[in-house]
Amino acid sequence: MGAAGDDVAASGELPGGHQDRRARPVDAGVATVALVVVAVAVLRPLLERLLDRPAVAHWATVFVAIAVQAMPFLVLGVTLSAAVAALVPAGLLPRVLPRRPALAVPVAAAAGAALPGCECGSVPIAGRLVARGAPPAAALTFLLSAPAINPVVMVATAVAFPGRPEVVVARFLASLLAATVVGLVWARTGRDELLERVHRRRSDPGPPLAVLAATAQHDLLQAGGFLVVGAATAATLQTVVPRSVLDTVAGAGPLAFVALAGLAVVMAICSEADAFVAASLTQFSLSARLAFMVVGPMVDVKLIALQAGTFGRGFALRFAPLTLVVALASSAVIGWWLL
Amino acid sequence: MTAAGGLISLLVGTVLLRLTLTGTYGRYVRLGMGPWLAVAGVAVIVLGSVTLMHALRHAHPADHAHHVDARDHRRRGGGDRVGWLLLAPVAALLLVAPPTLGSYGVGRGAEVDIRSGGGVLDPLTPGAEPVPMTLLEFGQRAFDRGGASFNGAAIQLTGFVAGAEEDGFQLARYQIACCAADAAPVVLRVVGVHGGPARDQWVTVAGVFQPGGDEVPELAATTVVEIPAPDDPYE
Repeated sequence: MGAAGDDVAASGELPGGHQDRRARPVDAGVATVALVVVAVAVLRPLLERLLDRPAVAHWATVFVAIAVQAMPFLVLGVTLSAAVAALVPAGLLPRVLPRRPALAVPVAAAAGAALPGCECGSVPIAGRLVARGAPPAAALTFLLSAPAINPVVMVATAVAFPGRPEVVVARFLASLLAATVVGLVWARTGRDELLERVHRRRSDPGPPLAVLAATAQHDLLQAGGFLVVGAATAATLQTVVPRSVLDTVAGAGPLAFVALAGLAVVMAICSEADAFVAASLTQFSLSARLAFMVVGPMVDVKLIALQAGTFGRGFALRFAPLTLVVALASSAVIGWWLL
Repeated sequence: MTAAGGLISLLVGTVLLRLTLTGTYGRYVRLGMGPWLAVAGVAVIVLGSVTLMHALRHAHPADHAHHVDARDHRRRGGGDRVGWLLLAPVAALLLVAPPTLGSYGVGRGAEVDIRSGGGVLDPLTPGAEPVPMTLLEFGQRAFDRGGASFNGAAIQLTGFVAGAEEDGFQLARYQIACCAADAAPVVLRVVGVHGGPARDQWVTVAGVFQPGGDEVPELAATTVVEIPAPDDPYE
């Protein structure tokens, strides 16, 4: 921190120095980080007093918990994404992937089963796949299916619903169906030009290791920043929405169904954990709880923020509602059939 | 690739590593996440250091190439700027470290369904020392054949006070599957205590199962000891 402090002093002594040998943006950025840290340190007593209020403490704990929990998965995601950028030659993906969406989308949906992680990690990977020329519909299908049907999530679901293997099967089928349908709908009607952000980022040419580091650094900050937005939103909603709202809708059939999907959107919990929460929502029907588990890994406030950051806001505004509707319909059909 | 970005990564990685080294991460995520947090922390520290060194080394000749780079960053829009928000959780963790979840969340979200998954449990053997167990196990034993498996043994429970009752208090502890965002509490009732501890105080209670608690299992306490919040606050 000492060097950063010197920078503050240096730029303070030389306001607008015309022969500034240092590169200004670098110094300004480092100085700002230092300033933020110092400002927060000065405000510490105020923060501590705030945390004495139970509601604030609850908010802060949930906020930090979501951010901390997501970090290892995010790091894995940006590392894989950076590896794709550095090691997969441009033009390879479009050549090896099936060109017809009717074929590429189901393949991508099934491929999601191979990536054990939760939703935060799959967003940067899908973004990178699109940037490298994979068909967007296929990459988006992978984005939806990977956190929903991977083996870790399936095992967690089996543990959360002991003696009810039909719940695991229903979750797998409903998620696979929803991811495939969204992909096919996007292939037909989606506007790929909305994926502006992805196409604007080019990978800098250079030795693979340098590209790896630069890409990982860029993706980590971007996805991490949006993760913070999502975590703050989820923590706020969890802190202010009282349980009585839940109990009043628990009995009413279709309403309960939509209410639990809404709860999944605002809670933004990890796809590896949501089965346990679903198991504890005993006042709801199994079908409604299936909707909770199918919607959660595909649409929630944290994911919407991440998708907006990775693909662009216009994209997220269309993709999230589409996914929500398809996921609800898919869980309704599978729930009615199996549960 | 900016020096500020590298510095932010460095801070994020340091905080992650510090969380695991001090054990504070147990307030937010499952203890099993520890090694992964440490690996992620080291990876982010390495990444931040590389970025920072690269940026500083290439910053000095403020030449043509650098200006092109800066303009390119502006053209990319606010994508990079949002990374600054990572300083929010970093600041929270470095300075105040939010506490473990307390009684505020009890009754606000879903509670653990004690009755599911317990099955038939092996009977306990009463001994000189009280048997320590989780609140969940206590609840499951209470609902298994009306508490027959307790076999009269003394039990020791650890949790926090979630509220006062006429003849005692509510004892609660959260279960988490991944992180504190998915926490659901198990709530029991401790009876036979007059003027119980303050709300949110952590306690270790010893006593015996008391049949007849309608919906909420009850423990008739013999001793109540106030303790600091444990390192593994969740079951």
